Amino acid sequence: MGRTPQAETVVVGAGNPLLADEGIGVCVVRELAKRPDLPRGVDVVEAGASPLALVHILSNRRRAVLVDCARMGRAPGELCRFSPEGVSSLKRLPGLSLHEGDLLTSLEIARRIGECPEDVVILGIEPEDTSFGSQVSRRLHGKIEDYVQAVLGEI
Amino acid sequence: MSGETRIRVRHVTRVEGHGNIEVRARDGRIEKIEWQVPEAPRFFEAMVRGRSWDEIQPVVSRICGICSVAHSLASLKAVEDAMGIEVPEQTDRLRLLVHYAEQLESHSLHLGYLVVPDLLGVKSIVPLVSSRPDNLRTIIKIHRTANAWMELIGGRMTHPVSLLVGGFAALPSEDDLVGLKKSIQEVMPELEALADLLLGAADKLPEFERDTEYIALSHPDAYTFYHGDISSSDAEQLVDIHEFESVANEYVQAQSTAKWARWHRDSYAVGALARFNTNGHLLGTRAARTARRFGLKQGCVNPFMNNTAQLVECFQVAEHGLELIDELLSRSISQEKPEVRERAGMGVGAVEAPRGSLFHRYGFDEDGRCVSANLTIPTNQNHANIQKDFEALVPQIIHRGQDEVRRTLEMLVRAYDPCISCSTHFLDVRFV
Repeated sequence: MGRTPQAETVVVGAGNPLLADEGIGVCVVRELAKRPDLPRGVDVVEAGASPLALVHILSNRRRAVLVDCARMGRAPGELCRFSPEGVSSLKRLPGLSLHEGDLLTSLEIARRIGECPEDVVILGIEPEDTSFGSQVSRRLHGKIEDYVQAVLGEI
Repeated sequence: MSGETRIRVRHVTRVEGHGNIEVRARDGRIEKIEWQVPEAPRFFEAMVRGRSWDEIQPVVSRICGICSVAHSLASLKAVEDAMGIEVPEQTDRLRLLVHYAEQLESHSLHLGYLVVPDLLGVKSIVPLVSSRPDNLRTIIKIHRTANAWMELIGGRMTHPVSLLVGGFAALPSEDDLVGLKKSIQEVMPELEALADLLLGAADKLPEFERDTEYIALSHPDAYTFYHGDISSSDAEQLVDIHEFESVANEYVQAQSTAKWARWHRDSYAVGALARFNTNGHLLGTRAARTARRFGLKQGCVNPFMNNTAQLVECFQVAEHGLELIDELLSRSISQEKPEVRERAGMGVGAVEAPRGSLFHRYGFDEDGRCVSANLTIPTNQNHANIQKDFEALVPQIIHRGQDEVRRTLEMLVRAYDPCISCSTHFLDVRFV
């Protein structure tokens, strides 16, 4: 039910586009959705900043490619590919809002309720600027094509 | 009780927006009790001025990410009222259907994600991921069904795009409605599971009563969320929705950036419990049975039972939603083309948002441009009542110690399911 398509593979862009590079995941999937070389049978979805929305998006999928801003201690703009099992979160959540949390929280909820895709890849992008702003930094903007290619390489 | 009690909660968690609790007492003598709203006003009433009649809904929908359908419907009804537009019955039924989806979405979010942690003694739902995955699965499934239901009729999950003045931009197909019916039927056992979960912890809801004025829309034929006029538990006569300002009587308080409201007393309450108290005799079978399971009866004045009333309403909207779908399918879906002739005028729209009565008023010039707007939001109408509940409750529980007082007051605030961000308003004041 609903109008959201349900393909086996989903590419999800997460993040808040009002916090500059924090929204890079959303920025990448918006670009990806315009591409004529996007394979058929792949859904491209903006998850925004709601961990629970992501749980819904992941249900009934076999493979998920998640694109998100990630502080990894790398150079700004660097993209790293990793699995949920390969990292642990350093975030401490104050419990103020349902908009808190991160991809890892969503994946853990999905796993516990038996709805996590069997194959999950995270493409983390190191931010340069996460202050208020509706545009990603110039450095990350210049690499969007690289990020899109990285996603296409996964699907 | 000897010693000092000093509670400063900044901000209350698991509510929408920012609200503070402040209590100060010395040797059992209470010096200060305040429910405070510090959030910045958002100026929506100013934002719509100068905009065309068909731009109002997309703007005011953004007042709230939880009740965007309610704000959309209130604004559409107000524009139609101002322009003299009659809405076809199919549109009326479909609007009610998407409105029900939002009630289920909002109530399940509130009960499942915000209230259940209180009842199970955890800080948030995150610990339940490992300790109670079955309960969490139930909550997520209900919420997901409601989201998909909203998307199906409204065109997307939040901030509907298919709702227009006079009709719909896109209609669901009959297959869509058949699919929706199936998914609502499938969610019924999940609602029963949620009821079991809440019933198992119902003794955690404090037994506190304070005689309260309850306000809700009322209609002789239905447990209404969309039609009808304004009813008060303190008055015999209904008030026409066009007179809503004389009901809300909004005013400002130094402790709050949100306006407060009062009618026959110094405060009143809106929301699920107000609707239940007003219209509970018109509930469907399963909803009425759920109320009985929890011992909820009309005339209840325990604000914590608003949670229970929300659960009852989850059954009500699911149950009546199924009837609406059957009704729509029996007539088949027909294409309708809304026609609007702009004219100058003033219009009012009222609906029951998940958190209570919601009123929109707009004035338009002869070109259909908005010249005035006044929005009265449910949570605005509850702030004064939360304060009065605090003042009655704290003396009863002050001996229980600071942590227990704080926890109980937080639960009380949550029981109202406040949407504080919606309620902050432009204040028009003069300093004297």
